[in-house]
Order: sequence, then structure tokens, then C-alpha cells
Amino acid sequence: MKDTRQELEAVMHAGRALGEEIREDVWIPSVCTICYGGCAIRAHRVNGTIVKIEGNPASPTGSGRLCAKGIAGIMILYDPHRLKTPLRRTNPQKGIGIDPGWKPISWEEALTETAARLEKVRAEDPRQLVLQVTTTMAPSSLLFFTFGWAFGTPNMWVAGGGVHCGNGAHAAGGITHASWSVVPDFKHCNYAIYFGASKGHGAGHAATPNIAQAADARERGMRMVVVDPMCNFAAAKANEWVPIRVGTDAALALAMANCLVNELGIYDVEYLRTKTDAIYLVRPNGRYARDAASGKPLVWDAGAGAAKTYDDPAATSAALEGEYRVNGEPCKPAFAVLRDHLKKYPAEEGERISGVAAATIRRLAREFGAAARVGSTIVVDGVTLPYRPASAIFFRGAQGHKNSMYNCFAIDLLNHIVGAADVVGGTLGFNPVCHGHPESGRPRYQPRPDRDGLMAVGSWMLPHVPYPPAEPRRPDSVGFTELFPLSHVSPLMASSDQEQWWQRFDLPYRPKMMINYGANSIMSVGNKEAVARSLKNFDFIVSFDLFLNEFSDFADIVLPDASYLEVFDPRPNFPFIFNHPAGMGEWGWPIRQPVAEPTHERRSAREVLLGLAYRLGLGPEINMAINAFYGLDGPQMLDPAGTYSLEEICDRELKHKFGPARGLDWFKEHGVITWPKKAQEVYWRPFVDVRIPIYHEYLMELGERTGKLCEAAGMRFDPRYYGPLPEWLPCPSHEVKDAAFDLYAFYYRDAIQVNGFTMENPWLDEVARMDPFSYRIAVNAETARRKGVQDGEAVWVETSTGRRVAGRLRVTEGIQPEAVGIAACAGHWTEHQPIARGKGVFFNDLLELDFEHTSPVNLNLDLCAKVRITRHEDQHAAHGA
Amino acid sequence: MRLGMVIDLKRCMACYGCQMSCKAEHGTPPGVFFARVLKREEGHYPTPRMLFLPVLCNHCSDAPCVSACPTGASHYAEHGIVDIDKDMCVGCRACMMACPYNNRYFLDERRYYFGEAGPTPYEEACSDRHPEGVVMKCNFCRHRLAEGKDPACVENCAAKARTFGDLDDPESIVSRLIKERGGFTLHPEAGTGPNVYYLGP
Repeated sequence: MKDTRQELEAVMHAGRALGEEIREDVWIPSVCTICYGGCAIRAHRVNGTIVKIEGNPASPTGSGRLCAKGIAGIMILYDPHRLKTPLRRTNPQKGIGIDPGWKPISWEEALTETAARLEKVRAEDPRQLVLQVTTTMAPSSLLFFTFGWAFGTPNMWVAGGGVHCGNGAHAAGGITHASWSVVPDFKHCNYAIYFGASKGHGAGHAATPNIAQAADARERGMRMVVVDPMCNFAAAKANEWVPIRVGTDAALALAMANCLVNELGIYDVEYLRTKTDAIYLVRPNGRYARDAASGKPLVWDAGAGAAKTYDDPAATSAALEGEYRVNGEPCKPAFAVLRDHLKKYPAEEGERISGVAAATIRRLAREFGAAARVGSTIVVDGVTLPYRPASAIFFRGAQGHKNSMYNCFAIDLLNHIVGAADVVGGTLGFNPVCHGHPESGRPRYQPRPDRDGLMAVGSWMLPHVPYPPAEPRRPDSVGFTELFPLSHVSPLMASSDQEQWWQRFDLPYRPKMMINYGANSIMSVGNKEAVARSLKNFDFIVSFDLFLNEFSDFADIVLPDASYLEVFDPRPNFPFIFNHPAGMGEWGWPIRQPVAEPTHERRSAREVLLGLAYRLGLGPEINMAINAFYGLDGPQMLDPAGTYSLEEICDRELKHKFGPARGLDWFKEHGVITWPKKAQEVYWRPFVDVRIPIYHEYLMELGERTGKLCEAAGMRFDPRYYGPLPEWLPCPSHEVKDAAFDLYAFYYRDAIQVNGFTMENPWLDEVARMDPFSYRIAVNAETARRKGVQDGEAVWVETSTGRRVAGRLRVTEGIQPEAVGIAACAGHWTEHQPIARGKGVFFNDLLELDFEHTSPVNLNLDLCAKVRITRHEDQHAAHGA
Repeated sequence: MRLGMVIDLKRCMACYGCQMSCKAEHGTPPGVFFARVLKREEGHYPTPRMLFLPVLCNHCSDAPCVSACPTGASHYAEHGIVDIDKDMCVGCRACMMACPYNNRYFLDERRYYFGEAGPTPYEEACSDRHPEGVVMKCNFCRHRLAEGKDPACVENCAAKARTFGDLDDPESIVSRLIKERGGFTLHPEAGTGPNVYYLGP
């Protein structure tokens, strides 16, 4: 036998062949981008080969730990099926599964043709250009939009993102927490209730850091209740799973709110008075009573027996209840109106709609209300702060419905009733306040009040902000977001009824050219036929991709992109409201830098696009757009007349934020800059003079204006979605009358697969195949028995609208009996991704993609479908592995 | 010193980070996972329990694989770690039959993740570590321990569910966790003296 030393030598040759000399052995800090989470990583490179990717221990977004997807990035970097050269189609016919007849061409050829096409489009009407990007690279891919601004097109969208994941959650998060999303304050929360969310359980914003925070909370004894049709991820780790009928979250939340306010009398008077519009007087027509001179909303000062403006010092004792005559009309404080409104939702009504027992609803409300400890305080870092250790959070599952906006507002209302918003132990937005690095004071932002005293965000992902909403106007863009100002991303970019909308509103042009960045929109939005039809409208599509995929069947030129491990980005993890861990701890700003040089003819898409802008003579426009996007000013501002490389732009952005000594060279070496968070930043609510609406008066005005424009154009508009107080309104799936279609299909985020492109990763695929659920259709055991289908059998899932997908069953006790659960964005059929092909189930193909199935407020697509399941006639085909 | 691991099932949420970090650390071929996560459900709707169990070699104190090995390839290395000397392994697989935990793998022929497309540069760099015709398994990342690091699965665990240390030292964190939270081992009836402990969910 060998001695220990010999043995260890035998096991310590990671990353090189036995006996091979070590010429290079380095760890390079960068940022993961397998999902949009953007965790900080470091890559181990030995003799030119990446042999390991780990979380970067120097960063709060990496903390030395990384999820399985991030670790598996090596297999994306080295996938032999990646594009190697630019390709040009030779077959003019486009369609799903029709071979484009790819022919390799040179970059020069590809760029010359692309530039010529762009010049022609720009000369005709620049709005004919559509930029489509993937969520996976967000927020980095937003840099792509600077090309759109420079070019002069309003048509840019994140294909699948937004319409699926956050048009509702991000708008609501922005309006009430000044942040993209919300989490419990894991460090201090004692009672968290999750509605269709998995924060801390393997997916979503700040996914990896949240896992440790959630585990700490569990160990500390935080009680977690998960409201979800399926018992997976979060529900599996919860103290209690509350199975709910798909898409009925608002009904449950409103019934809980009614219990709190009208049965238990638990609400935070101080918070409601000082931090919300609960005291604003509401007229019989539903609008705020306003001061004639200033236009400011009025409140009732009980002491003086008179109405005063909300910002009058006397407002602190303003009435929450009662009825008062103001300007000759009987007016009530918004809270009193809310109280009356909630009476429509007794627990029994909540039970009727959601399937959750009335007794359970009452108990949950009681537990939540008691846990909130209304009136209590706590000292954190020497600062005395409100202490409300109860939190109600929501995300994809709750917001992914036609009733998206009300679902989110109804759930979040629970936090505001008990004052548990951005205070210790409550629901936190992701970092809406940052005072900046101690030396540079940057980045610095915080929410500010609008003219009604209501909160506008201090930092946001996109140029438009959720509140105050822009004035609705006749649309100039393909997606009609001008008509629906609370939306982020519009399904009209690919919907089956887009032409009808364009005609009715006399859109003076049609989309003709698309530049796509990594989005596989054939699979990522809705049913493939609708998307394919919309793609056929384009004369020319250029697509930057890692692989040929289902979308490539519609592209004219495909360009081989460098992967996230081969490119620069100065702010892959910013803005902090997006995916930086919330709660106390550290700020961390990492950069993305190449850990390997691009091989073959791959190039960074963003550098190519920047080069194209300069080539088209759009230098001043793109430089100014980049200045605006990064907020560059002073010496770091790009000269409109200059020509810059992406590295130079990175250098300027970093110096602008962290001073001249911390440019790109400093960051290449250090990877990340960190500094401590302050209690005044994390628990900002008491320190920032803003209110949030519990009574969404602005929605009424918005609905009237949008409604008028729609009616004038002859389009159906449903004003019920624009009320000031949340309601439960059914999804189209709830209104299907045919009893043969008796189940609600929905999809959920898997912990091992995310979006569409990880399916091609053989490490992730191998684990997903070992997982009981990743590639299967989950159905309740009793339901399966009733239908005569068994675990492992191939079945059809068929909608009442005639769409169907095949897959294999997973019979489980962990799903609500009316629900059908399918994971992720799977079911690829392209031969160019042999690992992904035929694995899992293509849920999105069940989704209708039209305005009828879209929230008329925020344009979120309805992501549930009424279906039936039947045994597949061919049990031997692979059907989702 | 007797090295061992404690896995806190209350903290684990089955993200598969251990399974993947182990694969990346060791460059194991397709089908081989020194660390795995098993999922199982118990009970009935509406109160089912979803159970997650991360598993790996238990580095038993009375390891049946070591007793069963005819060549001495399976052996106790430093601090009780059970390892395989691949140069001595003749691939008889008696150890696999003897192990009650099913955490050993036999590599019958070289395979790569992209099949006929051949090995990636990463797999090329790792392939010497896993010769054909021998048995392989977790060795608590001895190469990392020698550098003063924890095993890859421990260092990477996003839920911080894994703790590694000296089970012989009653004051070590692992010993205290086992004592305070009633740590248990898998298949104690097999009498193998596992050195991987679990804390209940």
C-alpha cells in the first residue's frame, strides 16, 4: 500500500492530467448568469481549462456557495453543440421545424448585411426594429436597450420575462415597497406566509443567499405557512402547507384581511396614519377629496373638526374611521372604505372561491395578526425601530393570472394592515434605499413622495417607473405599453390578436426587423403557433445565441455569442432592488469578467451591437444612451463624439460609482467591492417621508383614461380591474363551463432547471432525470385514481381550447386535487440541443396568448389553463423522459 | 481523530448543490454521483411530508467494504476516511455488494457527457482521475482536507446544512450537534459504525 503522501499526490491533481506540469492555477472572480439571480462566483482555471466554479466568498451575493445550476456552468462553456460561426439561412421558407439550411458565413458578411438592413429600416421608420432579449441575462441585457434608444425604436421586450414572472409582482413591489420583489426579513421574522413564492428555496431573486437566510430562519423557529397548489420547495420546508385552488390567491388574502380588520380588530393605527393613504378622505365617487387651492388630498383632523391637507402637522391625529362632510359631500377616510369593502369577503366566501376552509382562514389571520406584535419596537444596531415579525409575500404563482394586480395588492395589504412593511421582522423590499459606498457616496437612492405624498421608487430596472403611472396615450409601440402604463412587458409583442390591436389603433407601421439576444420566444411566451405567426411578420431576424434553438427556425442570421463566462459587464448585479439579498449584512457590487477567452468565432453580443451602432453612425446617440443608462456624468461621461470599447465603458461606470482608483483594473483583480449596510437603509420605512396606497385611487383615473382610448378604438375594456381596492376576479380558466375539463394546469419554477436553456446542460439534465418531479406532470393521487391513470404513464394534458401537450405522470399526495403541476420551460424539440431534446413538458404550449388572457392593468399573461388529462395512446414514446 | 459529517435535514432544502459541487470537484463520469439527494414523500393529502435525504459514503468505522476487499484497495486512510487505492483495485466489486448504502460506483467503460461529441476540455482534464475497471466513491475530498479546506459539498452547501469535523473530540461542533439535536445514522442495524450523521427535519 502507498503511504498517505503518495496517495494524496494521486488525488491532488485536479484540473490537469497526472504528471502534467502546472503552468497556470488561478481563481478569477466574476458573476453567474445561469439565471437572472446574478450570484458572485469565482472560476478555477488550471492550464487554460476551467475546472471548477464556486460562489465567491468575498461577496454577499455569493458567500462562497452556489446552487447546482451555477456550478454546472462549466458544461455550458464547453458544450460542443454551441454555435461556432455566424450562420445565414439559405431556405427562404420559415416555420416551426422547417430546416433553414444554415450556411456558415464570416462575421464581416454577417455584419455588412445586418448593417445594410438596419440602415434601410432606420431610413424608413426606426420603429420597425424590435429588440428581444432574454431574462436570463437581466439586468445585463438591458444594456441592449441602449441600442434601441440610439436607433429610435420603442420596441424592446424581455421575451417571456415580465408577461410571466413579474408584470404584477414588480409593479406591486414597486408601488408599495419601492422594490422589484419582496421577501420576509428572514433574520427577525417569526411568521411568514408565502403565496405562490419560493424565496429561499432554490429559485428567484438572490436565490443562493436567500437559501441560507431561510435556513437560518427555520432553525431559529420562524413559522412558515405556504399557500400553494403544490407541496414542493417552499411548502416542503414549511410548517404548514395550505393547498389552494389555482389562481384564487386574492380571495384568500382578502378574507384574511377581513378577519384582521373586521373580526379581530388587529391593525396598526400609527402605521396606517403616517405611512399610508388610509387617512385620505374619499368622496362618494371614490376619488380623494382634495384641497381646492393646492390639489393635495385632504384628511379629517378630529381635534379641529375640519379637513386639512395630508401633510398638515395635525395629520398625525387624522381620522381613520367615520364619515365627514367636506366640500358639501359625505366623505370617509380610505381605511373606513377599505373596512366596508372587506366585508364582501367573509371567511366563508374565501372558502367558496379558494377551497381553503373558513376555519383555516380565520386561524391564519389570527396567527398572522398575533405574530405581528402591533405597537412593539426593537433595537437594531443601536437604532430603535418598529418590530413587526410577520410577513406575507407573493411572487410568480400568485401574480401569474389575469387578476395579477389585485392578487398582489390583496396579499401585500396584509403587511400594511399590521404595519409590517420594511420594518424589522416584516416584509422587506429588495434594498430600496442605498446611501452609497462610504467613500464615494454612490450608488445613492431612496424613494421620494409624489405630489399626493405617495411613494415613487428611488431606483428601478427600467426608465419607466410603476408609480406615479404615466398618462395613458395612444400607442406608438408594438406592445402598447403606453396604453397600459403599469405594465413592464407586453404579450402583444407576440400575441395572436396583435394585428387587431394595431389596426384598431392605426399603428402607422409594422415590425419588420428583429435583433434577438438569447431569447427562445417560440417556447418562452405562450403557445408556439401564436408566437410563430408573429415572427413570420418580420422580414429579417438577427439572433445572438449560444445554441441553435426552436426560435432559430425563424432567424435569417444567427451570430455565435460568447457565454457569460467569456464577457465583461460592470454591473451584473445592479440595481440592488432586483436581486441583491435583503436584510442586514453587506452591500456587494461585483463585475462580470471573462474567466475564459471566447473560442471559435464567438463574440460578445454587446460588443458586437456597440460596434454596429458606431458603424451605423449612431455614435453620439449610443454614447448618450449609455450615459443615461449608467447615469454617467462629470469626467466619466462618454463624449458623444467618441468611440469606446465595452471595457472602456465598464471602466468609466466603475470609476463613476467608486472613484478613479477603482476602475476596471481594480475590479478585475478584486472582483467585488463590499461595504456594510446600515439599519437606516434596510429598515428605511420610518426614516423616509413617503406613504403608500392601501386605497389605489390612481387606478380609477388610469382605468378611465385607458378605457376611453380603448373604447374609442373599438376594443373591449373591462373597468372592473381598475378599482381602488383589490377584488377577486376569476381567470378565464375559472369560467370554463365544460365539465370534461376539470383540472387547473399551472407551471412552477424548478430548483434544478431554470428558463429554457439549462435543459441542454448535461449535468443539470442528469439530476433533473433523477428528480421525481422535474420532467413529470404532477397529479394528485386521488385524482389519478379517479381518472384511471397511473404513475409513470404517458398522458395528454389538453385544454378546453384544444391545445395539448404530452408527458409522463407523477402521482403524488403533494398537490391540490384539482391541480396539474408542470415544471419549468421544457420539452425542447430542436435537434441542435441533443441533451434538451424530448425532456420534460412544454407547458407554455397550453397558454392562450391574447388580450383576453392578459391582465388589462399590467399585461401579465394568465398562466393557468383549464385542462383534462387522458391516457396517451402511445405508451412507448419517450414523452418527457 | 475520526472525521465525520453532520447533515441538518431541517436546513437542507434539496437544491442539489452538494450533488453538483461534488461532481464538479471530482469530475466524475456520467451516472456517477459520490453525493446525491434523495426525495421521498410520506403521508396523505392534505398533510403529506416531502422528505429530502442527501447521501454519500458513510466512511464507516467498521466498513464492510474494507473487509470485503480482497486486495486491500478499499482501506482506512488518515482519520478514519475510507478510500480506494485505484491502482490496487481489480474491479471485482465485492465492496459494492458489501456496502449497505449503495454509494460506490464501478466504471465499466469511459463515457462522456456529450456522448459521441467526445470529452469537453474539463472532462479531459479530469479523466485520468477515474480509470476504467475500478470502483470509485466519496473520499471526503482528501485533497481539499490536505489544503485545510472542508469537503466540496460542505463548503458549497447554500443552506449551510453540512458540518464537518472530528467526531472523537466531544467539543467539536459535529459532536455537539449530534449530542444536542439527537443525531442519527442511516441503517444503524447494519452495524457498520457510519461517520455521517443526520439531524432530523
